[in-house]
Amino acid sequence: MMLLESNRLGTLEINESSIIEMPDGLLGFEDRKRFVLIPADDLGAYSWLHSVDDAALAFLVVVPHFFFPDYEPEVPEAEAEAIELTDADDAQLLCLVSITDDDITANLLGPVVVNVARQLARQVVLADQGFEARSPIGGR
Amino acid sequence: MLVLSRKAGESLVIGSDVVVTVLEVRGDLVRIGIDAPRSVSVNRKEIHDELMAANQQAAGSVAIDLGRLPKPPS
Repeated sequence: MMLLESNRLGTLEINESSIIEMPDGLLGFEDRKRFVLIPADDLGAYSWLHSVDDAALAFLVVVPHFFFPDYEPEVPEAEAEAIELTDADDAQLLCLVSITDDDITANLLGPVVVNVARQLARQVVLADQGFEARSPIGGR
Repeated sequence: MLVLSRKAGESLVIGSDVVVTVLEVRGDLVRIGIDAPRSVSVNRKEIHDELMAANQQAAGSVAIDLGRLPKPPS
């Protein structure tokens, strides 16, 4: 076990084996490469994708199928290879959530794809598939 | 900014392993082919910029009141 310092959540005990490596980080946050997922609700829809190395860096993520049941993106082969993803069943999609005073949106254009078998993840850009970086959650 | 002139079919090399080839020029549209290692992500700049902005905003959403989150439809 190790301790995770979080500005938002306080100090948490996490298991090293739960750490997800993001070798290329997230766009704009390339130097943060290790994250853990911490549940943010009791239905399993929302989680915190929290940096292990930066107490201030956390992203609220949503499992898209709860709100976007038709969302079935095609992950480009090179992107799948980059996280050693060979079996689609090992892929978990997570969409970053953005919150403003007016709306709450999910990023369907650039989801994080986690290879749960390898604990490897990557933000994938799904150009030309008709997805948006700010899709309202809950149809509002 | 380095400016080079290239014709269709001609290429340029960036570093030692990224090759950019002008495939076709038709009117104001240029088709470009890029060979790069898979560790180099290649995206249209407007999409890259949009995702950068979305990520920044997502990172800034950390203080959210979770009670505001829509519940999944049951």
